[in-house]
Amino acid sequence: MNCELAHERIVLAAYGELPDEQIHELGRHLAACTDCSQEREQLQALKTLATAFPMAELDPNFVARSRMRLEEALDAIPPKRWYERLGQRMVNNFSSMQAAPVAALLLLIVGGGAGTLGGYEYAAARTAHNAAQVLSTQASAEQPVQSAPAEIANISSIEREPNSEIVHVTFNQLVPQHVQGSLDDPAIRQLLMLASENATSPGVRDNSVGLLAAECRAAHGCQGEGIRDALMIALRYDKSFTVRQKALEGLQPYVAEDMRVRDAVLEALLNDSDARIRTSAIAILEPVEADTSVRQVLSTVANSDHNPQIRTVSRQVLSRAPEIQ
Amino acid sequence: MDGPDRAQERLQARAPEMELIREAQAGSRAAFDALVRQYEQQVLRLALHLTGSEHDAEDIYQEAFLKAFRYIGNFRFECSFYTWIYRIVTNLCLDQLRRKKTRREDQAVVVDQSGDEIDVLSSVSDNRSFSNPGKELDRKVLGERIQVALSKLTPRERMVFELKHYQGLRLRTIGEMLNTTEETAKNTLFRATKKLRTQLAGLR
Repeated sequence: MNCELAHERIVLAAYGELPDEQIHELGRHLAACTDCSQEREQLQALKTLATAFPMAELDPNFVARSRMRLEEALDAIPPKRWYERLGQRMVNNFSSMQAAPVAALLLLIVGGGAGTLGGYEYAAARTAHNAAQVLSTQASAEQPVQSAPAEIANISSIEREPNSEIVHVTFNQLVPQHVQGSLDDPAIRQLLMLASENATSPGVRDNSVGLLAAECRAAHGCQGEGIRDALMIALRYDKSFTVRQKALEGLQPYVAEDMRVRDAVLEALLNDSDARIRTSAIAILEPVEADTSVRQVLSTVANSDHNPQIRTVSRQVLSRAPEIQ
Repeated sequence: MDGPDRAQERLQARAPEMELIREAQAGSRAAFDALVRQYEQQVLRLALHLTGSEHDAEDIYQEAFLKAFRYIGNFRFECSFYTWIYRIVTNLCLDQLRRKKTRREDQAVVVDQSGDEIDVLSSVSDNRSFSNPGKELDRKVLGERIQVALSKLTPRERMVFELKHYQGLRLRTIGEMLNTTEETAKNTLFRATKKLRTQLAGLR
């Protein structure tokens, strides 16, 4: 081995990139070559010096500010239309397809389908528009229509009476609804669960998750109705701190009996960006803190969480709970 | 060398993330937010360490995740999402480093936490003996000297050194992120360490 090659390998060895079989060869060269030994020492000194410019701990305010700015920018982007997503999927699929004839055939089918669907939607929209105009001007129709054109979802059929000006149009409307009922009513619960996942307003999600969580804490039939699933989804994915906090509180009674709940809380402890959620997760895990999986996560958090207080609390919990062998 | 069991384990560990990516590709903003939360700390730390400026790091973070949001439909699971997002971030960081390099080619300037630029070399005497850094230099000044030495590297050398030394990534992964080969990444690391040793010779 010449010295030039040895110098390269010294760098690779210092960063753990040298294959095992070459480490021995390099060791023999270094034992015999003073220059290369000095080269290795210099590199070690550089590595030591470089630690004087460490990766800084991030200021939580800085992270929060960055995230808030990003969320505002994301909110300003209009959602992709279905045909844009379809186009994207086609492009992806096309690039992964090897057989050209199959690709051409599929493209033809997808293109034909998309064209038909697009044409249908266009025609339906035109018909709905025309029908709404006709309906609003013909007060003498059999059943007067009170709705504005925007409330008509689609037209399902049109029939004209023979030798007459009368047309029968069947259409569907989007009508805002209001229901009221007990929190124990399955229909109300279903709506709350829908709201917890899909509502665009954080306030609606906050209310729905809060109510579902309160039901769980009060042991009002949280078994097998998907409420726990809804709370776990909110805990994992909701971007609002208060929603996640409420979901976590709602899951508290089930952390000992339901492994899925325990996993969700452990995930929150490991990954949630908000230190308050992570702190609450540690408190909630108290009944199962001697569990091996919980101890593993606590041990990871005790070593690597960015927040010193959380690291300290995790260590305290680990020290007081005897490990189950 | 990874066996099939390791590959299987890795695939299983990535399953929830793949699910999130698919949901994000289908238009779920909540799934995308979950991906952001998973990677935002690493992205910010990398950008902050490379640029030395919270303002620049915030811009890079913002632009990286906006790009990821726009182009997540193009992600085809051929590499890990981690590699994909890092590729976006490293490209943005490289652009930023190039802009900075041309702006202060011959200056030893760093940006402090408050965003003010300071000329480090003018604040440190070159005539001092640095034979014992632990006693004769305080850590802050030493850190600034390292930062100056790093700023003298080419943007690509800086990036490879950063990803290897501070982020501890494999050269193969670094090659993938920078759209180059493992061999090129290796040579770039070698050049970077050589230059740094020359730059910091007085400190040893």
